[in-house]
Amino acid sequence: MTHSTPLLAARGAGRRFGQTSALEPVDLEVWDGDALALVGPNGAGKSTLLALLAGALRASSGKVERRKGTRVGWAPQRPAQYGRLSARENLELFARLEGEHDPRAAAERLLEAFELPGKAAPSANLSVGNRQRLNLAISLLGDPQVLLLDEPTAALDPDQRRRLWERVAALRARGGAVVFATQNLEEVERMASRVAALREGRLVFAGTSDEYDRAHVESLSA
Amino acid sequence: MNRIALLLRKDVLVLRRSPLLLGILIAYPLAIALLIGLVASYGSSKPRVAFVDEDNLPATVVLGGKRFDVGHTIDEASKKVKLVRLSPEEAKRQLDDGRVVAVVTVPPGFISTLRGMVRSPQLELQLSTGTISSRVEQQVQALVYSLNRQLQRAYIASNLRYVTLILHGGDGSFLGAPITVLGIEKAQGLLREMPQTPRTAQLLDFLHDARLALANTNDALSSTAHPIELVRAPARGRTWALSAEVQAYALALTITFLALLLAAGSLAAERDENVVGRLARGLVGLGQLVWSKVALAAAVALALGLAIALAFGLIIEIGGVTGGEPWRRLPLLVVGLVLAGGSVGALGALLGALAREARSASLVAVLVVMPIVFLGLIPSEVVPPAGWLSDALPFAHAVRFFRSALYDLSPWGAVLREGLWLVALGAVFGGLARLGARRLLV
Repeated sequence: MTHSTPLLAARGAGRRFGQTSALEPVDLEVWDGDALALVGPNGAGKSTLLALLAGALRASSGKVERRKGTRVGWAPQRPAQYGRLSARENLELFARLEGEHDPRAAAERLLEAFELPGKAAPSANLSVGNRQRLNLAISLLGDPQVLLLDEPTAALDPDQRRRLWERVAALRARGGAVVFATQNLEEVERMASRVAALREGRLVFAGTSDEYDRAHVESLSA
Repeated sequence: MNRIALLLRKDVLVLRRSPLLLGILIAYPLAIALLIGLVASYGSSKPRVAFVDEDNLPATVVLGGKRFDVGHTIDEASKKVKLVRLSPEEAKRQLDDGRVVAVVTVPPGFISTLRGMVRSPQLELQLSTGTISSRVEQQVQALVYSLNRQLQRAYIASNLRYVTLILHGGDGSFLGAPITVLGIEKAQGLLREMPQTPRTAQLLDFLHDARLALANTNDALSSTAHPIELVRAPARGRTWALSAEVQAYALALTITFLALLLAAGSLAAERDENVVGRLARGLVGLGQLVWSKVALAAAVALALGLAIALAFGLIIEIGGVTGGEPWRRLPLLVVGLVLAGGSVGALGALLGALAREARSASLVAVLVVMPIVFLGLIPSEVVPPAGWLSDALPFAHAVRFFRSALYDLSPWGAVLREGLWLVALGAVFGGLARLGARRLLV
C-alpha cells in the first residue's frame, strides 16, 4: 500500500535551550521502509532531532508531523527506565502506559527476546549492556511503526547487535522505518538506506547512503 | 487503570524498595506521636514541689473564728502541684538534683503573723533553673491565691458575724471577751417608744440609714476582696485544648515535612531516571505527572497522619490523660490529611520542577520547610505580615483544620473554610508546578 504522506516529518523543526541553539530548523521525512542514519560529531544535534521526532521535546520553531495512527518507539542514548523497578516491572509499567492489551505477556515476550533477567532485582543493578537492552525493549512496546534509536549498539555485544538489526530489518520489511543516530560508519554502510549528516546543529547533508559514501570519500580526498 | 494511578502505584513500589526511606517514614510518625504524647502528658502533670515547714504548723488552726485543717487545706489548694513535706536540707538536695522543681518554705512565726492580721505573712519560694520554672512559679502563685481565697472567705464570714450582731443585737465575743450588744433594730424600737422630738427623729433617720448600709455589707466586703472576679465561660471544645493543639501541630508539621520532601524528590527523580521524555511523548502528560506526585503526597500524608493519630490516641489512653482522644473525629481527620497532603504535595512538586535534580530538590525542600513552619507559628495578631504570608502557604491552614476538627464542638465552618483554602492553594501550586515541569524535559 502506497501512502502520500511520510510516516514522520520534521518541517523546519528546530530547538533552542535558552540562548543556545541545539538544532537549527531542519526539514526531514521518514518514509515506509526507511532506515535513516543520523551522523555527525558529538553535540551536532542528533539526539535533539531524535527527541523532537519522538515527541519527547517540543520544537521551538517549526513542527513535527506524524502520519495518522503511526506509533513511534524511542530509545534515548541514556537508558530511560526506573532503577528501583526490575526489568519485568519496567516493561509491565510501560506496556500498560503504551496500552498493550496484555501487559504481562508483552513484558514476558520482550524479556525473553532480549535475554533479560526476569528476577526482581532492581534494573539499576543490571550491567550497562543489560540496561541498554531493557532500554531498547521498552522502545518496542506498543508495536511501533517507527523506531527512533539513539546510538543503540554502543553498549551491546556483537550477538545482541546482530539481533537488534534483525529486528529492525523485520520491521522495515513490514513497512516500518527506523531512524538511528550512530558514530559507527560500518553500521551506516550496512544498515542505512538514507543518511542525514548534522554539524553544529545544522543539517549539512541529506541523501541516500550511496550519495553519502561518495560525498564522504570526496571530503576525505579534498 | 488510569495513568496517574499507574504512576502512583509505581511510586509506592519504589518507596517500598527504599528500606531506609521506608523505615524513616514508619519511625517518624511514631516518634512524633511519642513526643507529642509526652508533651501532652507533661501539660497535665503535677510538678513535684517540696514543702518545708519551719513553723511547725499545727494540725488545725483557728482563723477568723473558723477552724482550718492544715493538711486538708494544703491538699485542697495544691491542685496543680504535688507537695511533698521535706526537711530544709533534703529539700535543698532534691532541688539541686532536680527531683523537685521548687521549694515552698513556711518560715518561723508564719501562723502567729497570720493570726495577728496586722501584716501579711510570707511564704518563701525557691525555683529550679530549668525551662519549666516559670510554669512552676505560676502554679505556686495559684496555690497561694487559692489559700488566700480560703482565708478571705473565713475573714469575711467572721466580720459578717459582727455586722449581724450590730444589726440584730445579742451575745458575742470580741478578742476573747464575751460581749452583749443591743443592736440597731432594738435601738430603733426603744427610740420609737420615747417622746418624739426633732432630736429623736434625727437619731431614727441615722439608725435607718445605718441599717440599710449594714444590710449591704456582705456584697460590699466580697467586692472589696475581689474588685474584679474572673468567671470562666463554659468550655466550647470537646477535648482538652492543649491536647488538640499539640496534635494539630504534630500532624501539620509531619505532613508538611514529609509530603513536601517526597513530592519534590519524586518529581525531580523522574528526570534523574531520564524517563520524563519517554513519558511526555504521549504516554503521560506533564500535568498527569505532577498530579501523580500530589496524589502520592496525599496518600503518604493520609497513612502517616492516621498512624500518628492512632498512636497518639493509644499513648494518651494508656497514660490515662483524659481529653484529646481523636477517635470520633477520624473521618474529619481523613479529609484534612488528604487535603493538606495534596496541597503541600503540590508545593513540593513545584519545588521539584524548579530544582530538577532529586538531591537538589530534597535539599531545597528541607530548607523551605523550616520558614514555612516558623511563619505558621508566629501569631498573626503580633506580626500581621507573617500571617498574610502564612495564609498563602498550606501549613497554617492545615493546623487550623486539624485544630478545629479535633477540638471544636461544631467544627464545620472552620473546617470548610480551611479545606477550601487547602484546595485553592493546591490548585495554584499544582498549576505552577505543571508550568515548571517543562524544565524537566531539558
